[in-house]
Amino acid sequence: MDFDLKRLGFTLLGLLIVLNWGMLMSAIMRKVGARVARRYGIPWYQPWIDLVKNYALRSQITHGIMFYLGPVFRISGGVGLFLFMPMIIGSELWMNYSFQGDLVLLMYFQFFGMLGMALGAGEGGHPNSAIGISRGLSQFTVIEVPMTLAIISLAIQYDTLSLVDIVKAQQGGFQNWTVWTNPVATIAGMLALLGALSHSPFNLVKAPNEIPIGPPTEYHGAFLGVLRTNAAILHVVEAALFMNLFFGGATNWFEFILKTFLIYFWSVFVGVVFPRFRIEQSVAWFLKIPLVFGILAIILYM
Amino acid sequence: MISPIHIITIGLGGAFALGFVSKKAKALTTSLMLVAIALMGTISGSWLFELLSGGTETMVYTAGFKPPYSINLLMGLNEALLTTMINFVGLLGGIYLFGNLKKAGSHAVMVFLVFIMGLNVIVMTRDAFNLFVFMEVVSIATAGLILLTETGKSVQAGFKYMMATGIVAGIFLLGVIFAYYFSGSLNIDDLAAANITAIKGGAVAVMMILVALVLELKPFPANGWALDVYEASDPGVAALISAASATAFYYVLFKVISIGNADWYNIIAIAGMITFVGSNLFGVKQDKARRLLGYSSVGQLGLLMAILGLKPYLGDKLEFIAITILVSHYLAKAGLFWLAGIIEQENIKDWAILRRKPIFLVLFGTFVFALIGFPPFPSFYGKWELILALSSAGQYYAIAFILIGSFLEGIYLFRWLGYAIKLDYTKLPEIKIEWNKVIPVAIFGVLIYVIGAYTGTQMSGLDSLCYGPLLMIPFLYAIDSLKVPIKNTIAILGVATFAARVLPGLYETDMLRFIFTFIFLVGGILTLIAGYAYKGKREGFYPVALLMFVGLALIIRASNTLEFFYGWEIMTAGSYFLIIRGKKSMPHGLSYMLFSIAGAYALLAGFGLSFAETPSIEISSLSAITSNITIIFSLLAIGFMTKTASLGLHIWLPGAHAEAESDVSPMVSAILLKAGVFGLMILMIAMGHSPEATNIGYVLGWLGAITALVGNLAAAFQEDAKRLLAYSSISQLGYILFALAMMSHLGWMTAMVYSINHFLYKAILFLTIGAVVMRVGTHYMYKMGGLIKNMPMAFVAVMIGIIALSGVPPLSGFAGKWLFYNAVLDVQWYFQGAIVFFSGIIAFLYLFKLIYSVFLGQLKDNLRHVKDISIWFAIPIYTLILGIMIFSAKPEWVLQPLGDMVSQWYPNSALSWDGGLATGPYGYWNGTGVMITVGIMFMALLGWLLLVSRKAVKVKQFNIVYSAEAPQRPETTHVSYNMFAGYNKALGWLVAPKITEFWDTMTDWVHSVAHYGRQLYSGNGQVYVTYVVAYILAIYFTMIF
Repeated sequence: MDFDLKRLGFTLLGLLIVLNWGMLMSAIMRKVGARVARRYGIPWYQPWIDLVKNYALRSQITHGIMFYLGPVFRISGGVGLFLFMPMIIGSELWMNYSFQGDLVLLMYFQFFGMLGMALGAGEGGHPNSAIGISRGLSQFTVIEVPMTLAIISLAIQYDTLSLVDIVKAQQGGFQNWTVWTNPVATIAGMLALLGALSHSPFNLVKAPNEIPIGPPTEYHGAFLGVLRTNAAILHVVEAALFMNLFFGGATNWFEFILKTFLIYFWSVFVGVVFPRFRIEQSVAWFLKIPLVFGILAIILYM
Repeated sequence: MISPIHIITIGLGGAFALGFVSKKAKALTTSLMLVAIALMGTISGSWLFELLSGGTETMVYTAGFKPPYSINLLMGLNEALLTTMINFVGLLGGIYLFGNLKKAGSHAVMVFLVFIMGLNVIVMTRDAFNLFVFMEVVSIATAGLILLTETGKSVQAGFKYMMATGIVAGIFLLGVIFAYYFSGSLNIDDLAAANITAIKGGAVAVMMILVALVLELKPFPANGWALDVYEASDPGVAALISAASATAFYYVLFKVISIGNADWYNIIAIAGMITFVGSNLFGVKQDKARRLLGYSSVGQLGLLMAILGLKPYLGDKLEFIAITILVSHYLAKAGLFWLAGIIEQENIKDWAILRRKPIFLVLFGTFVFALIGFPPFPSFYGKWELILALSSAGQYYAIAFILIGSFLEGIYLFRWLGYAIKLDYTKLPEIKIEWNKVIPVAIFGVLIYVIGAYTGTQMSGLDSLCYGPLLMIPFLYAIDSLKVPIKNTIAILGVATFAARVLPGLYETDMLRFIFTFIFLVGGILTLIAGYAYKGKREGFYPVALLMFVGLALIIRASNTLEFFYGWEIMTAGSYFLIIRGKKSMPHGLSYMLFSIAGAYALLAGFGLSFAETPSIEISSLSAITSNITIIFSLLAIGFMTKTASLGLHIWLPGAHAEAESDVSPMVSAILLKAGVFGLMILMIAMGHSPEATNIGYVLGWLGAITALVGNLAAAFQEDAKRLLAYSSISQLGYILFALAMMSHLGWMTAMVYSINHFLYKAILFLTIGAVVMRVGTHYMYKMGGLIKNMPMAFVAVMIGIIALSGVPPLSGFAGKWLFYNAVLDVQWYFQGAIVFFSGIIAFLYLFKLIYSVFLGQLKDNLRHVKDISIWFAIPIYTLILGIMIFSAKPEWVLQPLGDMVSQWYPNSALSWDGGLATGPYGYWNGTGVMITVGIMFMALLGWLLLVSRKAVKVKQFNIVYSAEAPQRPETTHVSYNMFAGYNKALGWLVAPKITEFWDTMTDWVHSVAHYGRQLYSGNGQVYVTYVVAYILAIYFTMIF
């Protein structure tokens, strides 16, 4: 692999943009949620305050090496996804390191962070962490079912598993976007997205409003800061994946920001309307309507 | 040469002469009798030698006249062999019964001598009436011998025996009289030449003669009397009846059957098969040792009868088949009855007593395996030739009957063997060793190997050179009393020597065989290294471990189906003994064995049918099959899938792998299962691209996908760490089956990558978990937890193992996933592919549960001081990890040669390499690049975190944020039991044990049928006689009307 300083520079710049956009976006979404619930909500700069506070906390504890490594794995997963994801179509340098692997790599790299985080949280020894992880994994397995079917459908449609090629095939006007050319797969994918972004009704994994549960339970201070950083990146990258798959990608940063916002907003929109599922309910749910759409998406293209 | 007539003169004269010896010199009388039998044996033996070395057979005419005016005796090769066998078992049987005979006095001794002499005459005579006379003589002598044991049971049995044989003799005599009336001769050859079946009355005569002879062979169901005899008489006598009498009477039917017409062959074949199946079926419920042996004897005679009846289809193979099976039965059954007499335990569960003298257990195992027809015993070759010949003749029903009967026999014999190996024997008495009883068993035990080896040399297509490694096994038995380190070193050296001889050069010539040999032998060495962790002697481990590895190597070396099947059975035997070594493995060993036998029979039938098509036993000829393709390939696929534990045939695996010893689990999981994969690959290469192959592939693909799903789902709900890994193996083999079934370049690439990966990570995981289990003393994950602190080495190993298994980049598992996607899209198996993908994600559930429940979470108080895993386990584990790391960093090193190899059968259409960058038909992937990118990023982020939280303080176990409560005990804080409760609620129904229920129901049915069926044998003599009469009538109505 030739070392390409210019590419690295652009990639890091892209990462910075994505990180800040991610934080802003999450603030906006929280604000949206608050307004729906007739609250005032946080100021738009609250995430930055949280971040600075977390990194600045002086007392820090650890439960062991794996506990320590957990957040590193987690953010490596997020950043890695970013690295292998093409961001802006038409600019070779904003394509990051997507030449190293295709959609399959992206799909499997998602697990890298999850697995490492699960192990780290596991060493923390807090039962709520393990419960959260077991729920998260359970839900994640079924989210991937409609997602996979949608991706297979796209692979048949575009005859490739290369995300770059899929995006390129959608250029030349919005009528070429997958959402129009393959609406069934898009539906399956967008339903899967609801689970992937774990907003209500699929947020039992973290149960954010009551007892703290899920992997981060025992993390605090800089560890939590790292996790928050990762969350900001990851949400944008996930949205970017769907943008690339279904909505024609982005040819400039403005388009990127608009599209990722709308995609992310879709999950918030659903989230403020529907109450939370229990885990067996969400598992069953993904194997009903989204599964049917996934199967249909393949049958239509077989 | 001494005239064969002297066999009779010595026997008869000796019996008379014994009367003159003083009644008090009991030992002398018995010894003289033995001398007489030895002399008789010498005569028949010298004839056997003479005839084998090219001499001519001789006919003895008594009284100087030719038949029909006198009686003639024939001494041909068959007669010489059989009389030698009879006299030999007579001699050993006499030695065995020395004490009994001495006690009973000279009358009993005379009876014994007359019994043996009578059997000789029965074999040699060519005269029907003479035959009748000596059948009566033997009958009476037998009754006398039965009464050597003076219990109420034996008296009853003797009486029933007399009633039954009385009727039989009467019928026979009537038949002979009528036959004489129609043909004017009593000579058997004259009777055959006269073709009296053509005359209406003559047909009745033939019917009476033959039905009587059939009845002498104890056909089902008219054989209740025989079972009582076997059960009630002294085991020494039962051995003689089973080995000597049966041999003689079988031969009588063999020579007299020529007087009947072709229909008789059919009826005898049918009678034989019904007996074989029926008797073995009823044996399933039997738990009295000697009666069970009786069932088995009767069954074996049925098989022999069937072989005789199938004569028209067997051609010139008839004698080979009959003799090999007869000899196996003769040696094994006499040996087993004698063993029964030595240990004096009636209930088969008490045969665990054999372990007080392990050599008895070895003998017992030998006889059991010989009866079932495992190599290297003669019956193996007999069954092989039998099935091949029947296939060529298109006798599919006969094949089915014979294999089903053999399988049923396997059920009870292996259950029995399992009891002997596993049950507690400490409360049982010591075995009384009487050398006159032990020596005959030992001689027969040795003979069965010698004759088996000899038979092997007579087989064409069996490369005797490649069986040299088998000699390791007796050697390892011989040094079994040494300590583990010595034996382990020898075993490793043995495997290493073999590997060093086989592996070099194989890479260039035959990549496929190289890979599997590598997995089998290098994997063998690595797993054997773990054996150094064991203390003491570990008796019996090394011979069977080597047996399995030799079998595996033989499978690879095999160039024809006979060699393949030979290796397959050797491997099965070895792995059975390995599996059953586990503490709670008795039922699992049995179910493994039964599935293996059934699978082996499916293979046998498949090979037989393919031989009928081509006709050749070369493996390459499998591709030349033109008809019956679907059935042949399906049979073979089923056979191989019993080893890969595909859904439906998988229920043996979880128990077998989970309960096995710590270093045996990886042997039978990471290594052994690949034998099935190799078989499937050989099969699919042979199948080529015919439409039938595509259909079979399609079915196998779905089967593989569902296996993968159910296996992983079941694994997620396990609480036992080793069971979890076992279910994971089922699932992984499901992936491999799925990938193979695609029968495309990418599909096979995927399969090979999965095979290699599964070998690596499953060996790592099973070795590590096994080593952990050795330290903590439980399989249950919820009893562990927090062990990362005590066992960092084990934790790292498991972590690498699960990352590789899950397919998360950058480790090698991802290579399989990436190829898999391209392959699935390439062959358009979208839905199956989605199921496999789904199951791959479910793997995360159990992988997390495994590593979390064992190593993370809360450490239990009782485990605070456990040490890290043994260094002897760590060495192979970390060697394998090195393998994974190399494969991950440079996947092209493995994948490119694999691609070249697979191109031989499935041309490469789309996969290309540019340095480390692979480009498939649908996507691309740079393994090395990803590794480097991830590595740099990880290190950078780690550095950053170290920077911002360098002052982190390590806290104690319970120092956790626990909302206002303090956690009290690790047991209540550790989340493990029923970890995926929600998932279970939603999807648990998918893994409801329906298949296990199915097999349980099948087992129940067999047991119920056997239970009710055997009530046929009421124990009442009159009832038995009724059956005999009804049998005669049934044959009469079948044959005459």
